[in-house]
Amino acid sequence: MEMLSSLLLIFLIGAITTYFVDSINRKFTGIIAFLFVLLGSLFFYSNIHIGDVFVFQLGGIEMQWGINDYSYYFSYIVLGLGVLALLYSIKYIEGKARQGYFYASFLLTILGMIGVIISQDFVSLFIFWEIMTWASFLLVIYNAYYKVKTKGIKYMIFSAIGAYAMLTAIVFIKEHYNTLLIGEAIERGAFNFQQYRYIPIFLLLGFGIKAAVMPFHVWAPAAYSKSPMSFTTIFSGAMSKMGIFGIGLVLSTFYLQHNPENFYWVKLALGWLGGITAVMGTLYALIQVDAKKLLAYSSIAQLGYIVVGLSTGTKLGVMAALYLAVLHAIFKGALFMVAGAVERQVGTTDMTKVSGLIRRMPWTFFVALVSIIALAGIPPLGGFVGKWLLYEALITESNNYFLVIVIFFSSTAAFLYSYRFLFGLFLGQEEKETEHVKEAPISMLIPMLILGIGSIIIGSFPGLIFEPAAKAMQAIGFKDVTWQMSLLSNIWGNTTHLFLISMLIFSVFIIAFLFLTLKGLKKTRYVGTKEISTSGELPKEWENFTFQHNFFKPFERAASPLYHLNMNRIWKDLGKNTEAFFGFFRKLYTGNGQTYALYVIIFLVLLLLFKDVIFS
Amino acid sequence: MNDIIFKIGGAFLTAILAFTVGMFYAGLRRKITARVQNRVGPPIYQNFLDLLKLQSKRTNVAHGFMGHMAPIWIIIAAMTVLMFIPILQNNLWFENLTLKGDLIFLLYMMVFGSLGMALGAGQTGNPNSAIGVSRGLSQMVGFEIPFVMALVALMLQFKTTSIADLMHFQFTSGHWIILENPFAFLAALLSSLGMFRYSPFDIVGAPAELASGPMSEFGGKYLGTMMTGGAVFAFIKLVLFVDLFLGGAGNNSVEGIMGTGLGLLELLLKTFLFYMIPVFVGLVSPRYRTEQAIQFFWKWPSVFGILAILWALYKNGTLL
Amino acid sequence: MVITPVHYIVVPLLAAFAIPLLTKIYKDAARLIPGIVLFYNIIVSFNLLKYVNEHGIISETIAGWQAPWGINLVITPFTGFLASMVSVLGFIIWLYGYRFKRTLKGGLVKYYEILQMMMIAGSIGVIITGDLFNMFVFIEIVGISAYSLTAFYRGRDGAEASFKYLLIGSFASTFLLLGILIIYTQTGTLNMAQIAERMHEVPQHMKIIALIFFLISLGIEAEMFPLNGWAPDAYSQAPSPTSATFAAVVSIAGVYALIRVLFTLFDVPVNNYLMIMGFVTMLVAEIAAISQKDLKRMLAYSSIGQVGLVLIAFGIGSKLAVFGALFLMLNHAVIKSLLFMTGSYFIYNTDNKKLKSLNGIHKRLPLVSFFFSLGALAIVGFPPFAGFWSKFYILIAAGDARHVYLIVGVLGVTIIELTYYLRIVGRIYFAKEEEEPASHKPSINAIIAMSALALFILVIGVYPDLIMQPLNQAADALLNKTHYINQILSLN
Repeated sequence: MEMLSSLLLIFLIGAITTYFVDSINRKFTGIIAFLFVLLGSLFFYSNIHIGDVFVFQLGGIEMQWGINDYSYYFSYIVLGLGVLALLYSIKYIEGKARQGYFYASFLLTILGMIGVIISQDFVSLFIFWEIMTWASFLLVIYNAYYKVKTKGIKYMIFSAIGAYAMLTAIVFIKEHYNTLLIGEAIERGAFNFQQYRYIPIFLLLGFGIKAAVMPFHVWAPAAYSKSPMSFTTIFSGAMSKMGIFGIGLVLSTFYLQHNPENFYWVKLALGWLGGITAVMGTLYALIQVDAKKLLAYSSIAQLGYIVVGLSTGTKLGVMAALYLAVLHAIFKGALFMVAGAVERQVGTTDMTKVSGLIRRMPWTFFVALVSIIALAGIPPLGGFVGKWLLYEALITESNNYFLVIVIFFSSTAAFLYSYRFLFGLFLGQEEKETEHVKEAPISMLIPMLILGIGSIIIGSFPGLIFEPAAKAMQAIGFKDVTWQMSLLSNIWGNTTHLFLISMLIFSVFIIAFLFLTLKGLKKTRYVGTKEISTSGELPKEWENFTFQHNFFKPFERAASPLYHLNMNRIWKDLGKNTEAFFGFFRKLYTGNGQTYALYVIIFLVLLLLFKDVIFS
Repeated sequence: MNDIIFKIGGAFLTAILAFTVGMFYAGLRRKITARVQNRVGPPIYQNFLDLLKLQSKRTNVAHGFMGHMAPIWIIIAAMTVLMFIPILQNNLWFENLTLKGDLIFLLYMMVFGSLGMALGAGQTGNPNSAIGVSRGLSQMVGFEIPFVMALVALMLQFKTTSIADLMHFQFTSGHWIILENPFAFLAALLSSLGMFRYSPFDIVGAPAELASGPMSEFGGKYLGTMMTGGAVFAFIKLVLFVDLFLGGAGNNSVEGIMGTGLGLLELLLKTFLFYMIPVFVGLVSPRYRTEQAIQFFWKWPSVFGILAILWALYKNGTLL
Repeated sequence: MVITPVHYIVVPLLAAFAIPLLTKIYKDAARLIPGIVLFYNIIVSFNLLKYVNEHGIISETIAGWQAPWGINLVITPFTGFLASMVSVLGFIIWLYGYRFKRTLKGGLVKYYEILQMMMIAGSIGVIITGDLFNMFVFIEIVGISAYSLTAFYRGRDGAEASFKYLLIGSFASTFLLLGILIIYTQTGTLNMAQIAERMHEVPQHMKIIALIFFLISLGIEAEMFPLNGWAPDAYSQAPSPTSATFAAVVSIAGVYALIRVLFTLFDVPVNNYLMIMGFVTMLVAEIAAISQKDLKRMLAYSSIGQVGLVLIAFGIGSKLAVFGALFLMLNHAVIKSLLFMTGSYFIYNTDNKKLKSLNGIHKRLPLVSFFFSLGALAIVGFPPFAGFWSKFYILIAAGDARHVYLIVGVLGVTIIELTYYLRIVGRIYFAKEEEEPASHKPSINAIIAMSALALFILVIGVYPDLIMQPLNQAADALLNKTHYINQILSLN
């Protein structure tokens, strides 16, 4: 099918066009980028159908692009979030420098992601994977004026380690199975741990780094929080899911087609890695003072849940993972947009400096509230469904009983940073400096609200996601995946009726709202955040009593042993030692001609001495 | 048709029962505390009077959107959770929606109200409220861990995640889970101390330091509603423990209204006995600091929790 | 046949003599003539390459003396490909340097242009000659031009670098001559085809001794570790077009000479030697590059690293590996020239060669910065740029040969490479600017030259099939030793 290549062409032309439009008229850069992505998405959903395949030769290698249910599922994340993020971007990035650069890289990133999900052979997978990586690298360093040496590069180095691990695996697949097509490789057992263990391990390493799995997550906090927020929406929401895409492919193949009982350690290791990722991500999220960083760590934690879900390899677990993948895109996308809106309107997202924005930015707060509820997994919003599926999968279908405790610990501790985020930015006493702050522009609010409403609707009707997810699971080999529109059930026959719950909550809400709030609302007077009863003393106008510093210090103290495990420091030490070690080699080039001449002579002598060994 | 009457009537009955019992127990606790401290103390019905007073007040001040939402969310959480808890075994009136949700749902739904209160408290701008919330959330991470361990142990042991199924098992087999998995009970019991937020775990309200913490800016009807929610929640927690570990209530074969009455009596007896544990522990302990409280739950209760899971696996035959 | 390989030798030599004379008449002749000559070279190369790809090997004997006595020039798909590549790059580098130092007084530019042309012509000579001693002569031509060009600026550093180059280069000459001497005494001929034919008669110990001399001398030319001490200094001190020529032309000729001698002349297994030394070269060079503070030195070390990878690929020795090695040589020549060209504009604009002064330079030189970034991404091997394919084929070949550690090692070293290249890209675009010196915008000829290279990187990156066929034939021609021998001996 030519359609697939036309799709990529749309994005490519879009990237080039936006780059040049920017130098002509800066006003239209964002709009044109948005229109191109919209066009690409419409084209995708109207002209491309499941089962399309496009085979061609490039560089003597057979390449195959195609769409199946599994990739179609991920396309929702990429394109859906992509359109919203670009719409949001128009106003967010307005007035900043190098917009052409920004949007061109943005579109290239989306192109890379689409390429990854439509690749059905390893070479194009790798090519698109790398395009996605370097295009996103260009965006990561977009904001990082001073930190470029460490932050952006860290992302790139880890990405490269991942990509090259993947490339190694690809090379060995070519060697051992004599194919570069993913489908054929799967059939011949390339993802099987029984034959060549290092192939699936290298692949998992490659995908896992993108999914920010411990201990390779250290690039993520900085990369997520330092990028422009409109891009982080995609970065954390969609690009990390490319890692999940790959892990899902490898693991489900392994679980379904082979003999996983003998390789219990795979499940155990991956599950625990995911669990530890979740815990550490959460723990570090709740001590952050920068809202963006908080969200970044929280993303890592959420990706940990998804990995845990995949590691079970059972129907419910994989369903949980796929469901969470979409849901994480929805709520975390919305939250990063919220952080971006605050950043744009206020100038900072430092929670020790911002407070009390709820009355200045009510719609933004609404989106934040809804998304945080979804993130925390509190019913009746979508997040609860994901949590339920994950727990039930771990308890009923998997043997990882202690892992469920770890996950539960992480998701309980997630309440802490959830509250911290809402409280830090929107609640507390109002600052004098933020009095002038206005609500974010409408073109930023629309995508946020769409995502917010999305997580509300999914809370009652998770079947909307279950349907494509079930198809996706069938596409990667699961049989008879059942789902219901608003009913969750596990293999022990226990159910949770979501629609009923939502209706109950909604009706209680209506009654309480009518009789409690609305009845006396007219007679009430709004009191400012400073008219409070702190020992009968009113705070001065310039004082702000909001509790912002060391918000969870007691928790930090209680959990202090856990905070000692700082992966970042370990990697940093490793990097320093390596560079010091390199310094030794570097000194071989002394800059002295005599030394160089000596090297030649020594080398000659060595060759002459060991000639029998070397040239035998 | 009959069904719907039973449903709606039952829901009302459950709510009234929960409210009454909750308020009554709260009054009882005040009385007991007073007596232990060698005071006369307020009458047992004092809480009803308090509530009456609060509800008859007009709401004068508003703290903005979340301030309005806080009491609503609390009452939502209380009512929703109540609807999913089986009060009596095999009783049409008190069946509610027990088979439509399970333990995981209950765990998460319980947080809903606290979240609402925390957000409302946050918007008032009172620093004490925020400190209270911070402490409350931190402590929650503490006690939820052993509690979840206990629940997971039960789920594994009895192969169900439904609370009604657990009750049914105890009814049919005649074995209470407290004997089937004593470690789970211990873990849950210790974490229940934190759940009730009485001394030594009353760090959220901490009257001496935080001036009642999150609640401090609320008054009138809103405070009254919050109190109601709290009373219902106290009842919910007690019933939950009775259902899970003490065989539930209503395990008699008497037909009709008599049976319901006997069942309720059984329920009151069991809940009262269980309630006395946190109350008496509270009477004799001073307040913990937040980190001490968290660490308390991560020590012995969690050990019991792990033992509970191992025990469940052993009973199950999956261990070894 | 109108066009013969002799044109490669004759035209530049004539031009070299003509330039000083013609400059008296027309001032810009010194500038223009090398361009014409190099362009003519391109025409010659493409015609010859087309011919050999269709009709087989050409062997042209000079002055009618038959092999083994006469000197012969051989065009195979392999040498034809390399000669075309070197010609094209030579021309592009000339175009880039067209306005180089035109204001310099004292007619120095004249010498620069002549030497530059001779260096390129000599490199082509190394590639196309079929005679061992003739190869030595051409290597000397290249070497002498290179020594002089290194010292072109007449500064202390330039002189020092040139002296180091000369010192090490004289080692190379001596040992090469010794090697040739041994071979000649043993086989009685200097024609490479005949040497190859008679090599099995040579006693093993003599063979090995000769081989070692060749390895040392040609290893110096091919910048193999630890014989490459001259390279960083020479690259960094030479004028920028010359640095580009070193990377794109001279090192290619050096690698060619080494590979030709090892693959065709000798029948001793040197695969492991090449792989190990190639890897060591690559590793040490990239490690040295990461700690450089000077842009041109860094690029120089990076060039050495690339050569190391080429040697690894030749060491693997399979058809695919040789194919990948040739592809990589092409990519390296193109990309590294682009990097040196853009890099020299950076340096030109900053008054020192330090990396620090590149901070935020993209504002002053947007196009150059873009080309540099493109080159940086391409040389590290990011798809969809040309550099990816060569690396990919080499890795596939290594996989087929089951060199697990080699793959992991090469990719590990690539991470080092990536680190320092991207640091610079980040610096160019995102570091805070320090000061705003006067800006030297690139001239139009330089822009054309750089655009041509950039276009190549992009086009080949997206559609590698364009050059698959000549590369394939070149690889076949190199590996098919008996065919080479038979053809040449029968043609003469």
